[in-house]
Amino acid sequence: MATVMAATAAERAVLEEEFRWLLHDEVHAVLRQLQDILKEASLRFTLPSSGTEGPAKQENFILGSCGTDQVKGVLTLQGDALSQADVNLKMPRNNQLLHFAFREDKQWKLQQIQDARNHVSQAIYLLTSRDESYQFKTGAEVLKLMDAVMLQLTRARNRLTTPATLTLPEIAASGLTRMFAPALPSDLLVNVYINLNKLCLTVYQLHALQPNSTKNFRPAGGAVLHSPGAMFEWGSQRLEVSHVHKVECVVPWLNDALVYFTVSLQLCQQLKDKVSVFSSYWSYRPF
Amino acid sequence: MAGNSLVLPIVLWGRKAPTHCISAVLLTDDGATVVTGCHDGQICLWDLSVEMEINPRALLFGHTASITCLSKACASSDKQYIVSASESGEMCLWDVSDGRCIEFTKLACTHTGIQFYQFSVGNQREGRLLCHGHYPEILVVDATSLEVLYSLVSKISPDWISSMSIIRSHRTQEDTVVALSVTGILKVWIVTSEISDTQDTEPIFEEESKPIYCQNCQSISFCAFTQRSLLVVCSKYWRLLICPPVTRFFYGCREYFHKLLIQGDSSGRLNIWNISDIADKQERLAMTTSVSLQEAFDKLNPCPAGIIDQLSVIPSSNEPLKVTASVYIPAHGRLVCGREDGSIVIVPATQTAIVQLLQGEHMLRRGWPPHRTLRGHRNKVTCLLYPHQVSARYDQRYLISGGVDFSVIIWDIFSGEMKHIFCVHGGEITQLLVPPENCSARVQHCICSVASDHSVGLLSLREKKCIMLASRHLFPIQVIKWRPSDDYLVVGCSDGSVYVWQMDTGALDRCVMGITAVEILNACDEAVPAAVDSLSHPAVNLKQAMTRRSLAALKNMAHHKLQTLATNLLASEASDKGNLPKYSHNSLMVQAIKTNLTDPDIHVLFFDVEALIIQLLTEEASRPNTALISPENLQKASGSSDKGGSFLTGKRAAVLFQQVKETIKENIKEHLLDDEEEDEEIMRQRREESDPEYRSSKSKPLTLLEYNLTMDTAKLFMSCLHAWGLNEVLDEVCLDRLGMLKPHCTVSFGLLSRGGHMSLMLPGYNQPACKLSRGKMEVGRKVPVTEGVGKGTYGVSRAVTTQHLLSIISLANTLMSMTNATFIGDHMKKGPTRPPRPSTPDLSKARGSPPASSNIVQGQIKQGWSQLAAMHCVMLPDLLGLDKFRPPLLEMLARRWQDRCLEVMLR
Repeated sequence: MATVMAATAAERAVLEEEFRWLLHDEVHAVLRQLQDILKEASLRFTLPSSGTEGPAKQENFILGSCGTDQVKGVLTLQGDALSQADVNLKMPRNNQLLHFAFREDKQWKLQQIQDARNHVSQAIYLLTSRDESYQFKTGAEVLKLMDAVMLQLTRARNRLTTPATLTLPEIAASGLTRMFAPALPSDLLVNVYINLNKLCLTVYQLHALQPNSTKNFRPAGGAVLHSPGAMFEWGSQRLEVSHVHKVECVVPWLNDALVYFTVSLQLCQQLKDKVSVFSSYWSYRPF
Repeated sequence: MAGNSLVLPIVLWGRKAPTHCISAVLLTDDGATVVTGCHDGQICLWDLSVEMEINPRALLFGHTASITCLSKACASSDKQYIVSASESGEMCLWDVSDGRCIEFTKLACTHTGIQFYQFSVGNQREGRLLCHGHYPEILVVDATSLEVLYSLVSKISPDWISSMSIIRSHRTQEDTVVALSVTGILKVWIVTSEISDTQDTEPIFEEESKPIYCQNCQSISFCAFTQRSLLVVCSKYWRLLICPPVTRFFYGCREYFHKLLIQGDSSGRLNIWNISDIADKQERLAMTTSVSLQEAFDKLNPCPAGIIDQLSVIPSSNEPLKVTASVYIPAHGRLVCGREDGSIVIVPATQTAIVQLLQGEHMLRRGWPPHRTLRGHRNKVTCLLYPHQVSARYDQRYLISGGVDFSVIIWDIFSGEMKHIFCVHGGEITQLLVPPENCSARVQHCICSVASDHSVGLLSLREKKCIMLASRHLFPIQVIKWRPSDDYLVVGCSDGSVYVWQMDTGALDRCVMGITAVEILNACDEAVPAAVDSLSHPAVNLKQAMTRRSLAALKNMAHHKLQTLATNLLASEASDKGNLPKYSHNSLMVQAIKTNLTDPDIHVLFFDVEALIIQLLTEEASRPNTALISPENLQKASGSSDKGGSFLTGKRAAVLFQQVKETIKENIKEHLLDDEEEDEEIMRQRREESDPEYRSSKSKPLTLLEYNLTMDTAKLFMSCLHAWGLNEVLDEVCLDRLGMLKPHCTVSFGLLSRGGHMSLMLPGYNQPACKLSRGKMEVGRKVPVTEGVGKGTYGVSRAVTTQHLLSIISLANTLMSMTNATFIGDHMKKGPTRPPRPSTPDLSKARGSPPASSNIVQGQIKQGWSQLAAMHCVMLPDLLGLDKFRPPLLEMLARRWQDRCLEVMLR
């Protein structure tokens, strides 16, 4: 028993030394690394001009799907907003070609990108609040900081990976449908969102349900992508989705940003795991 | 509390104050209460006296994530309402006087700031909450219903709002909202009375938008006098503790004009500076008051009691051993506590609570009540599970424990033996779970263990081996879900990734993220609604905790939608009755809660008054039956009968039964159903008796002390509720004739409100900045007794008074209607032999023979109960003084009118 105790005493001294190193050196090294990664990530989001560098640059994305070519879209992304959009739709029945574009004066803000960017800048703000000169005294302090940073990073990533689930009336009511010139025909709905690293455009073709229809009317709930047959009520009309077209395009910088988020989240978690290993030692009392 | 059940919590806080890492501070308008929100989601109410002394009053539970902001929510001076918002988008409206949750809602977005403002709607002024946060609008929310009415939207470069200010122009009679976005753009909205009148969802666009190039703005404020200048406060640096302290400035009038600077920090400490008008620039301003939650706990005498403090004394230390995990077994009335030294104590819950709360002869006995200690873990016990309680398919002897020493141990609670040690994990065990019913036969006899090395194990209790270990998850495990039909175990990690494991083969089927991950988790919910276990947050979900009968449910609610909680406690209980195991002894529930994962357990005793009355009456009704069976008792029974000897005993029993049936109506059916179930269990037991192992274990029964659980529960509850010290004669009667005991000190009651929200009084809530010195032990013992229970609970608030009066009067009336219902005699001495499961009414034979079964004693006892009821019914306002007494709420009484409880009460 005595040898066991002695061994633990020596072991403890080493552990304490190791923990001190962790708090004084390793934590700051990780924080610096995190800051570098997140700064790199936030650069990808091309922060809108805070006065000096002029308007953010425009990027064009050609959206398509591998299967059919019924819908083609060219979307122009300027920072976190869509500044231009051209949508070509080939009607399946009569092969008639429809073309819509954004009105000149209009922009459509992609809230997902803005939210992600704001969450990242909050994470950076949290990280910069402890500079090199700051001495961490307890593991709990590091864990708290990591929790706060990880919360922001998880939110940032989730905003991009999980687009909002909208109901069809919500899509119909959204401002996006009113952005187009010529105005969208009443039997079309469009929705634009970010899913992971892709910019997605969905076009829903609708047809009205006859009031005396034998079909069982069941309004569809919220979904990212509604499937044909989904029904909803809009105004006094009952409508059903007849066709769904989804086209998408990879946005390279979103891909980079997601990779950075994942890497920094893992760094945070590893640091947390390291610290918590020690804290479980500290709570140990030999009995 | 819209439900029809009357559940009163009593808290045993223990010596260590809960972690309270303050994230938001608010001073109410009357300057009498400071409200703080913490990172773990609790809200603390602190009383602030005129002399600037602070005393913590109550802790409010209900939020599942860090509190982001607090605001007042009511303009009138007679009621103080506050609104709180959390990181997960919940909003709650609380009554400051008693911590009742009045309204709650959940939005998808997080609010970071809320301001209360009264808009003129016609001639009236309507309270509105203006909220901003992680979204580009300002939401205008109704201050009473918490419904979003309309929003203020930006046309030009919309972005998150970091701060805002509202001002009413006297010249134009318009309300102007000025806000600053995170990117430093100042925006102005004008809210005219016409707009606030129309309650449609049309947004209001900004009047002006102008960049002012300042980032990370903390606060903006208008000069109220000139209405021309705007003060913008930005921060470059914070003085940082573990997390930044929150400092806010309040001014107001309370007897004299004051300006206060209040700071709350990560250790739960409140610092208050009183800034006089003539601020001396050279002098360093001295702190006026400073108090932390732990200090408030420390200065109490006697110390705040923990549930098994008397059994956890360490010779070398003042502090008792901390309880780190607990589980309550209602069928046996036992509380199982795992402690920081690795030992596990099994103790009768009511007995140990009586020791902690009440004064009596038990104070002289060391190691009371009799208990059993299991030793096996080498360090802290982190989780406990009694699988039989969740599902009858498990052996009722088995208790499972997990510890920081990475091991999971199976115990036999009847014999105290260690059955098996699993050492499969590489980190401390954080959670033990039970797989759902429809899993494969092999998995059905497993329990699921989760460890901090991000691994999940399926440990077979039958085969005594680990049948699957799912490890190498990159992030901590947040939720475990099941797809029994596909033989899948679904592991949700804190970063949002989902791992799907095949239980039979142990193969990783899929690892997904994003929408697919969300969809998989949701699909599991649809398949097995009861098998959800999320384990990330230690906050309390009462509803779940109650329905799952005190499993580790409180850790499990973080990511559940609040809507599911919206159904109130009882509605859910009623609906769950069908698919949950029933326990006859549900009048007392002991639930351990942790505000923070690192804290020791706080134990909350939930008393279900209605269930207690039913149990008392059922036991009373079953008593004459036994008298019939044993002929020698016949004489005695008829002698003690209050209806006189003219009745045939059998007939009397029938009459009594009829009474009970009328009183408890459908509940008697449930009890009969319970009986049937238990008959089955008895049958099974008989089968098992042929098993030699079982027989050997039976030689050491779990029942360490034979006692009547129902009467003990009633005794504990009545003793805590009675307003001691108001009527000395009655106090004597209570002590001597009725067998009640005086509390050691103020009992910390709680108040349940809608949707599983709960307010728990902190120890010493009624002592304004307690000045009791340690030397004055005697005074310390006495003063809180007279002041505490009397004024404490009936002067707190009207809702509390209502619940407590209803409980005490209905119970007193029930006890009065019983024969020889006194608590004397049950206590300390060995009662009559009873089967291990005292739940079955037909088996619960007569309690200890009454001291003298004469009509005189019987009458005296009845008189005692009626005096007790009368004092609380009639004399309380006079005895307390009208200024101190808060009368019961009529609407709450009326809501109980149809209640069985009240029928009993009125008789």
